[in-house]
Amino acid sequence: MTEAGARAGRFTGYEKAAAAAVVLMLAAAGAIFGFAPADALQGPVQRIFYLHVSSAIAAYGCFAVVLLGGAIYLRTESAAADRWARAAALVGLVFTTVTLVMGMLWAKPIWGTFWTWDARLTSTLVLWIIYAGYLLVRRLAEPGRQAARFAAVVGIFGFIDVPVVHFSVTWWRTQHPGPVIVNGALPPEMLATFFFTMACTLVLAAVMIAIRYRIEAVTDGSQPAAVAPAPVVSAPDPGPSGVR
Amino acid sequence: MTGAIAVALAVARKDLRSEWRTREVVPALAQFVVLALVIANFGFQIDSRNAAAIAPGVLWLALVFAGLVAFGRAFAAEREQASLEAMLMTPAPPAAIFAGKALAAGLLLVVCEAVLLPALALFFGAPLSLPVVAAVLLATIGMAALGCLFAAMVARMRARELLLPLLTLPLWIPIIVAGGQAVQAAMGSGGGYGSALGLLVDFDILFVVLTSLAARFVLDD
Repeated sequence: MTEAGARAGRFTGYEKAAAAAVVLMLAAAGAIFGFAPADALQGPVQRIFYLHVSSAIAAYGCFAVVLLGGAIYLRTESAAADRWARAAALVGLVFTTVTLVMGMLWAKPIWGTFWTWDARLTSTLVLWIIYAGYLLVRRLAEPGRQAARFAAVVGIFGFIDVPVVHFSVTWWRTQHPGPVIVNGALPPEMLATFFFTMACTLVLAAVMIAIRYRIEAVTDGSQPAAVAPAPVVSAPDPGPSGVR
Repeated sequence: MTGAIAVALAVARKDLRSEWRTREVVPALAQFVVLALVIANFGFQIDSRNAAAIAPGVLWLALVFAGLVAFGRAFAAEREQASLEAMLMTPAPPAAIFAGKALAAGLLLVVCEAVLLPALALFFGAPLSLPVVAAVLLATIGMAALGCLFAAMVARMRARELLLPLLTLPLWIPIIVAGGQAVQAAMGSGGGYGSALGLLVDFDILFVVLTSLAARFVLDD
């Protein structure tokens, strides 16, 4: 029995989770374009808001995992905590990129420019730069204890620095729309669409982190590459398709 | 506690003495900041009308890059001689060793500021006043703490010249925001000097405390 044959008809948990996340994101797209009403002032451009804010929240969540993983690593030297941090940093950087790009696409028609040096924009860009630096430290430090320690320090400083940048800049200049979720400025359909999109995006982020964690674990050699090798197969298959 | 302070002062004294004997960093840095002013002249097309408005920005650009050079050198000699490991083998606390290194590197940057600020006054007509000096000196504290922490980190890594600015500059931004505001106010464009200076003190305290907590993980192997 070949490996492909052994797996035919049954999917790993990772594949199922990934498929579920994709389906959820498609459903969110349906809600954004089919259910949510068009904005009276901004028109269809406003539909960017749902994914833009959701991915920003997902990115913050990822970086919180980086902070926690780093702090736990510095206390206990747990390799798993470090792997969670590593996985979450990469996923967080992806979601920060999505946030920035979608924000710029929205800003061009609404503000007339892709970029302005606003507090929220500046601190998000700094966030991106800090975690890109985090991944660079991971790559350039000696793998193992040194990379984990140095990255943990960068992750902790990065997480503290971003609110600091935000508040220090916000005292002098701001243009980004204020919070609309908490002050009840949205009609219920928009609010429902937003919370649904946010939930789907958070699931997607969690699935991505879990898959990335598994990749990191395999790379570290702490988990076998094959998923649950079937022990019932005893006879070696000499066929050409039996290449492992 | 007094022991840790004595260690820090001894390390700082050693670094400053070594700099005094070799005169390696300070003359190069002084030349560097004057060069930065020359480059700024060509980049901004400076004349007598716009010089005062551009001066604060030029000050921070020159200072930030001079700081990167100064702090990058702070651990270079230790790395070349492998003497940091020897220092860490002593019972001295790593945080105290780090504090000494940061103190010495910060003082070298202060010497460089003693060249930068008069040069800025001379070439840009930017008034050199006590408020400007106070803001720059307060910013130096936070910059030295963060800069030396990451200099110690990259000293053990590949591509360290590349990595130091990438890690340090984004974390310096709060200091530069507050410092930039303070210097602009002190040079006569915009207000808010007092609040900016208070913010600088807050950031100094935050970053000095954080870096002294993190120093152990960066130095100790």
